[in-house]
Amino acid sequence: MSRRFLEAVGVAAALVAVVLLLRFARAPLDAQTQTAAAGPAPTTSWGEPDLQGIWTRDSDEPLQRPAKYANKEFFTDEERAALDKQITEIVGREATEGRRKRGTEQDVGGAYNAQVFTSHIRTGKRTSMIIDPPDGRTPAITPEEQKRRNDLREYSLALLQATDVCKDKLPACAGGKYGPPSPRRSETPPLYIINALVGSGGGAISRSDGPEDRGHGERCMAAALPDFGGFRRIVQSRGQISMLYDVGQGQGWLRVIPITDAPHLPPTVRLWWGDSRGRWDGKTLVVDVTNFSPKSNFQGSHENLHLVERWTRIDAETIRYEVKIEDPTVWTKTWTVTHDLKKQSDELNRIYSEPRCHEGNYGMVGLLAGARATERAFATGKGPNPATLCLGGCGGFAGGFADDGDDANPLR
Amino acid sequence: MRFPFKAGVFVFAAVCAIGCSAGNSGSDQRSSRTADGKPDFSGIWQANNEAHWDLQAHGARAGMVTQPGVYPYEYAQVPAAAVVALGAAAGVPASIGVVEGDGQIPYKPEAAAIRKENGEHWIDRDPELKCYLPGIPRAMYMPYPFQIVQGGNKIQMGYGFSNASRVIHLDKATEPPDDTYMGHSVGRWEGDALVVDVTHFNGKNWFDRAGNYHSEALHLVERFTLQTPDVIHYEVTIEDPNVFTRSWKISMPLYRRMEPNMQLMEYRCIEYAEEFLYGGLRKQPLVKRWEGETMIVDITRKVPPGDKLYDWYRR
Repeated sequence: MSRRFLEAVGVAAALVAVVLLLRFARAPLDAQTQTAAAGPAPTTSWGEPDLQGIWTRDSDEPLQRPAKYANKEFFTDEERAALDKQITEIVGREATEGRRKRGTEQDVGGAYNAQVFTSHIRTGKRTSMIIDPPDGRTPAITPEEQKRRNDLREYSLALLQATDVCKDKLPACAGGKYGPPSPRRSETPPLYIINALVGSGGGAISRSDGPEDRGHGERCMAAALPDFGGFRRIVQSRGQISMLYDVGQGQGWLRVIPITDAPHLPPTVRLWWGDSRGRWDGKTLVVDVTNFSPKSNFQGSHENLHLVERWTRIDAETIRYEVKIEDPTVWTKTWTVTHDLKKQSDELNRIYSEPRCHEGNYGMVGLLAGARATERAFATGKGPNPATLCLGGCGGFAGGFADDGDDANPLR
Repeated sequence: MRFPFKAGVFVFAAVCAIGCSAGNSGSDQRSSRTADGKPDFSGIWQANNEAHWDLQAHGARAGMVTQPGVYPYEYAQVPAAAVVALGAAAGVPASIGVVEGDGQIPYKPEAAAIRKENGEHWIDRDPELKCYLPGIPRAMYMPYPFQIVQGGNKIQMGYGFSNASRVIHLDKATEPPDDTYMGHSVGRWEGDALVVDVTHFNGKNWFDRAGNYHSEALHLVERFTLQTPDVIHYEVTIEDPNVFTRSWKISMPLYRRMEPNMQLMEYRCIEYAEEFLYGGLRKQPLVKRWEGETMIVDITRKVPPGDKLYDWYRR
């Protein structure tokens, strides 16, 4: 079987998942716009604030404030309408055959081709989800984190250097150069590979020696805390709150938060989603999260991540979520993100409550088998040098946007 | 850390968790009923039996997978190569079983043959080894704790294995758009019993490690009753006309995990199954021998230096 065929299988699997997600995501949002003014926040039969239901964001706000909107906390209604129009046009152009550049390395280089993720919800009011620091940007990173990022970037560029991405001087090769295959291809990566720090689309690095090279997303392990997308189903009883996170392509997970004064787990216990301890502060659920694993990843933060989340049902239809993010080994200051979650119909039950990314991960088999087939073909003089093919971190078409130019994401 | 460790806090928490499963409300206020008067199943529970090995009544076995020994009798099988290095830890304990009546599952003849084959090819076929979602009822009695969060109209259950979960709808909810691993659970109260109908299975799950299986036509009726505040009597009527000649029933107690600081811990096994699933596709395989998709495991068992038995034996 050809590598391309195997990769196509992976893309098809991803497409099915995306189509399902879109179908789920759209209807409740349309219904949402028709709801009347929200009533007061309810309480449970045992007297605690009631957070139960299916919740999701109904508007899109960038995590960081784009430079164009510096010193401006909120968009005007006119700006929001103009941005929605602009995004619709860009993504619409992207959907045409000519623009998709079918068959290019950027198109097929990653199993989970980023150009299919082109759905967008309306632009929200905030110019950034980050409310602290006041400039709406993540704080400066520490010198040690800068070094980690540089090391990974250098390694990633070494893997790309013999590919067309560098030959054609595409954005994903920024800072690198075109040249012969690098001996670094056989090196163990400088970090446990998680996600590409730069570029977009496909896997993390241009290598498929084993599943680890493909990054958390393609391994069906991308779900992480904190998370600013997808759906939540919250069910609570006295002393415990469970939240089903429906995120990514069937990468959901269930989080149970105990309401307790008990101390956190001992530091020897490390968890992908950390150790949550909840308490009520008036109408707000406050959750302290520590004990993250070195393998978990949020924007480069691993085992030293510390979160303080605040969940407040501000009215019948809205939960305001706020999270203070701290990791002195990554950022020079703490920072805070906020967004609102809107209540969805319980009866419609439009939540992808069964994470089955892993159960259907034919893409991983396709990627690895494809890479081995390419190596065999090269060894017998029947195919190109695998080092000249981009297998990840190739850039291009994320969310229907180009890496740069007029068709780049206007909210980036 | 937000909550500094204090002995007082710890003692308080310990007393509370023993005396009031419902959280930190102080003295013994644990009620086996919710605020709206229903039996309260909230908490962390676990089966304590051998059902995850084999639902049916069975004697002990030499290995999770066995092969014919030197003596050609069924009862003289020895552990197969894949598990032989584990010694006595590779065996399967005996059990009185959880199947009501004669302890046996009423398979149709052709289904009984598939079940036998499943057992013989356990390593290749059991979805548990691949870290797939375990399905219901298997998730209820796997050797991992699970947590019940009982809200008003929804009951959410989280399982340790594979971080699986399900929600039981006590109110109206549209059905899933496709068949599922964990099924679609619709519950109702019959007096003090929670009765749950589970349908919409995709037929890819097993009941246990012995190869007992079902098809996508599986229909479960689960019945939860509180035997004591710390024991749930769990009973399931199992129906699948593709596989069984009649409906049959399993039942077992589920016990509350009583540790004062008990909490559900993640077992994110996707990563642990990667070698098993994709190891043969590595550029440099860690398991050295593969024949196509078949992994050939060479067993090396080294006697550690200073082992008393072997030192005595060599004298």
